[in-house]
Amino acid sequence: MSELYFKRPMPHGGKLVERVITDKKIAKKYVDVCKKSCPVYEIKPTLHYKRGVPVRNVYREIMSVCYGFFSPVEGSMTSAELESVLSKRRLLSGWVFPYPILFDISREDYQRLGVSEGDRLLITLKGKPFAILDIEEIYEIDPEELANRTFGSPETNPEVVREKFDDKHPGWVIYRSHQPIILAGKYTIINEPVFKPPFDRFWCPPRKCREEFEKRGWRTAIAHQTRNVPHVGHEHLMKNAAYTGDVEPCHGILVNAIIGVKRRGDYPDEAILEAHEAVNKYGYIKPERHMVTFTLWDMRYGNPLESLLHGIIRQNMGCTHHMFGRDHAAVGEYYDPFATQILWLKGIPSYGFDKPVNLVEGGLVIRPQNMREFWYCPVCKEMVYSETCGHTKEKQKLSGSLIRGLIAEGVQPPTIIMRPEVFRVVVKWWKKFNYPFVNEKYVMMKEEELEVDVPDLD
Amino acid sequence: MEYTIEVFLDDYRIGKLKGTPVESQIDAVFGGELKVVRVKVGEEIKGEVLKAFESARIDSRACITDTPVAFKRAVFDEIVKQKSLGEEVVKAVLARIDEIKELAAKESEYLPAPEIETE
Repeated sequence: MSELYFKRPMPHGGKLVERVITDKKIAKKYVDVCKKSCPVYEIKPTLHYKRGVPVRNVYREIMSVCYGFFSPVEGSMTSAELESVLSKRRLLSGWVFPYPILFDISREDYQRLGVSEGDRLLITLKGKPFAILDIEEIYEIDPEELANRTFGSPETNPEVVREKFDDKHPGWVIYRSHQPIILAGKYTIINEPVFKPPFDRFWCPPRKCREEFEKRGWRTAIAHQTRNVPHVGHEHLMKNAAYTGDVEPCHGILVNAIIGVKRRGDYPDEAILEAHEAVNKYGYIKPERHMVTFTLWDMRYGNPLESLLHGIIRQNMGCTHHMFGRDHAAVGEYYDPFATQILWLKGIPSYGFDKPVNLVEGGLVIRPQNMREFWYCPVCKEMVYSETCGHTKEKQKLSGSLIRGLIAEGVQPPTIIMRPEVFRVVVKWWKKFNYPFVNEKYVMMKEEELEVDVPDLD
Repeated sequence: MEYTIEVFLDDYRIGKLKGTPVESQIDAVFGGELKVVRVKVGEEIKGEVLKAFESARIDSRACITDTPVAFKRAVFDEIVKQKSLGEEVVKAVLARIDEIKELAAKESEYLPAPEIETE
């Protein structure tokens, strides 16, 4: 029988990256030496290249790299690695990776720092030592070219790209807003930031997550990507996708929210996490089978490319399966709505995948569970799966946008659409921020305060 | 392609549509728990709405969503005024877009939360 069981997948690249110094004494030594001999750089948010509002904070990437979410990436990419990622979606080691991960600084900061290859940079966050970067290479990029090549175009990626990327696409804007000088090299966190509530409850890096799966006896676990508070359609997606597994349904559902700068109109991060928690707290899915966590990342909304990153993160966390729905991590009409599923089922040659992601060399082990849609069927009088229910003409689709519309107009969504406990969480954070969704004020506040505090090493 | 702007109706709004030709076009959705009317628009008007509001998007049902409440309110008022669900309703709203944008800007800072018990 045991030969039919799925094994917990190896981390992407074979080994979890862990570049965090947890011993305070050793950390203090590093800081003391760095303070004497290293240039110091205080992290600044990346600002929109036109509007000047925050669109990204590189601290989130440093955290995700050093705690192993992005294994096997260990730092800011060299020019050769960047070229490899842009042209083949592969690291130089041959492992699949979709996006440039870069430590970018302005020309003025470069001149002020006076760094060169071989130097060590002390990176501070909120004025306190946070990480070090051992500089292997310094090079210059053209941010517009970087943005265009990261996402592709209808001409270069005709299989799935429908519209030219522009400044209405938040991911394109993030790369377009990068500073031109790249310091490449490995990061090491020397002073672990401390998460503020409610984030502290949900922080579960890959090593800890794998241990938690062991503790819970989860042989199989399916990942649910989210940047949204859950409506009943999401709940049905989770419950039904989890019926896959090996000889029995998946033992666990891992909700992994992406926490970082969001689009105006998305929900605040705090509401997203607690709303998913409400799903298990109030028994819609047993807490024994459902766990809420997050990854720090300013979403690039790259649909199939983002799905690769999601697969990598959740494989590193120990999941055996990953559910992918329609419009996965998408915004607007830039991609085919099922671009992610095309990538995982057939491959997208123009992105470097002539076969599905699991079948290419250096690809992923995590199994995709490609789901179509859930909608309300007034004939069946329940939420149904689009490929199962025969009353297609009568379908009533629900979407996050529909629910946002109701909420903004002060209408409580019917329980058939959103659980009342989930709505209460939305209202809790609405009262706190005076607004139910992400707005300019929330982004400014959040990017100033961040999810973490940095402790004083003294 | 045709796009839809949905306007959800509470009892007050249903009252406003009573006796008009629009009344017969009110739909009950999600097991009868929600009432809605739908205005259909073409590519050009869709483009104008998306251009006017940064938050606006097209969802998987080809609905124009995430428009400001001020816009939705104006669409409803125009439906009542014109007693119609035609594209001309949205055209009339777009004709006074500056005024609506001004209201929308205020509402992007603050929306009153419903008075319900939270933890």
